[in-house]
Amino acid sequence: MNRRNLIAAVAILGAFSLLATLLFQSLGQNWDWSKPWEYRGILFRGWIVTLLLSLGALLGSLLVGLILMLGQRSPLPAIRWTCRLFLEFVRDTPLLVQLLVGYFVIFAPLMSRSLGSMGWDDKLVIGIILLSLFEGAYLGEIFRGGVASIHRTQWEAARAVGFNRTQTYRYVIFPQAMRRVLPATAGQFVSLIKDSSLLSVIGVQEFAYQAKVYTSQTYGGLEAYVPLALGYLILTAPVAILSHRLELSYRDET
Amino acid sequence: MKLEITALTKRFDRHVALDSLHLDSEVHVLCLIGPSGGGKSTLLRILGGLETPDSGSIQIDGTPIPSSREELLRYRRQNGFLFQSFNLFPHLSALQNLTLPLQKVHGLEAAESNAIAEKSLQRFGLLDHAHKLPTQLSGGQQQRVGIARAVSMKPKILFLDEPTSALDPEMTGEVLDLIRELAEEGQNIILSTHEMGFARAVADRIAFLAAGNIQECSTPSAFFSSPESPLAQRFLSRVMKY
Repeated sequence: MNRRNLIAAVAILGAFSLLATLLFQSLGQNWDWSKPWEYRGILFRGWIVTLLLSLGALLGSLLVGLILMLGQRSPLPAIRWTCRLFLEFVRDTPLLVQLLVGYFVIFAPLMSRSLGSMGWDDKLVIGIILLSLFEGAYLGEIFRGGVASIHRTQWEAARAVGFNRTQTYRYVIFPQAMRRVLPATAGQFVSLIKDSSLLSVIGVQEFAYQAKVYTSQTYGGLEAYVPLALGYLILTAPVAILSHRLELSYRDET
Repeated sequence: MKLEITALTKRFDRHVALDSLHLDSEVHVLCLIGPSGGGKSTLLRILGGLETPDSGSIQIDGTPIPSSREELLRYRRQNGFLFQSFNLFPHLSALQNLTLPLQKVHGLEAAESNAIAEKSLQRFGLLDHAHKLPTQLSGGQQQRVGIARAVSMKPKILFLDEPTSALDPEMTGEVLDLIRELAEEGQNIILSTHEMGFARAVADRIAFLAAGNIQECSTPSAFFSSPESPLAQRFLSRVMKY
């Protein structure tokens, strides 16, 4: 078995290297790597902004997702329907439109001045909010599925031992649902990191924005997009690996 | 304890599960028997505070079962309830299944809850399995851990809803032994079961439920030797056939 794994790993790595070599050879002559190196400063600054953006939106989207999930389980129809409506609207319209309308029509007139006077970068903050709302809508649906997949008997058993509603969620339902939604949630986080590149349309100076700036300032080719891809990979790969690890460690528990 | 049930009615949509049920009896171990769909589970769930009746009242030793949410929660906390299966929380070890409610529901410290839980598991010969997850236990062991959890805070009444129906005969035996032991130690128990031999040996009262009503309630010897209602006669003749 181990030998087979080794052969597979070598074969895949070999094929991939060959492909990459051929690809870069065919483009090679026109590419000038000294220029992106010169501009490494702004590219790195962009990467840091993307990192901040992703971390902020990650926490924000968790919160939004949790609220939407609980809202959809509320006994009050007004809350249930509002959450459902919001969730469907966000999931069924393009992120690009949401960002443009959300920034220029809704949030910028509301908060830009006060954020600015506090010395905050209003585009970054509003960007995090908008991205949180978008990804949170997806998470809300993932979480709803996770909680709904916990069998009715667990709610009953929790009531029987005397847990109240909050305790039931906290000690019985969430820990079990979390294990089930982990893969889908990790996938959503990876999407979130990549979706953050769209925030350049409202002028957030993140990684993809800086790559475009570089390209237009240097009349360069597509060089900047290679470090761009690698930069995103550095952010997304740990999420994927971590989720895989956690999944393995939970496996024998249920 | 004295159990008084007056005109208890419960409907699910159009289905009438309990139809103005009456019972007035002094019980220690009450066995509910009868055909499936006769209302055993519904009655147990109402008695255990998991369901509220549409009308009627229940008094236990003169105290009515509450109807408000908070009071029902308090009522459930002073009793124990066990279902047919899936009682345990699968993400927690056997020991944690006992300690978590002790800490979060009854407010005990970690050390204290551990001591009580270990004592409870030891008493039922389950201490070796304390750190196993439910999936690593047999069905019988799972039910025994479930009972250990239900009685760890010395409940006033232990409710068991067909505790052995999902088990094979050997495991059924080990779980029934445990319930019998509890009964002999004086634990008040109300259970539903299809194990007629067990009902006869351990219960001090048998209530026969069919069509949403208690058709008769008497001592085991009277019930099994000469059932009065035609429904009970037919039920027993079928159950005892083989």
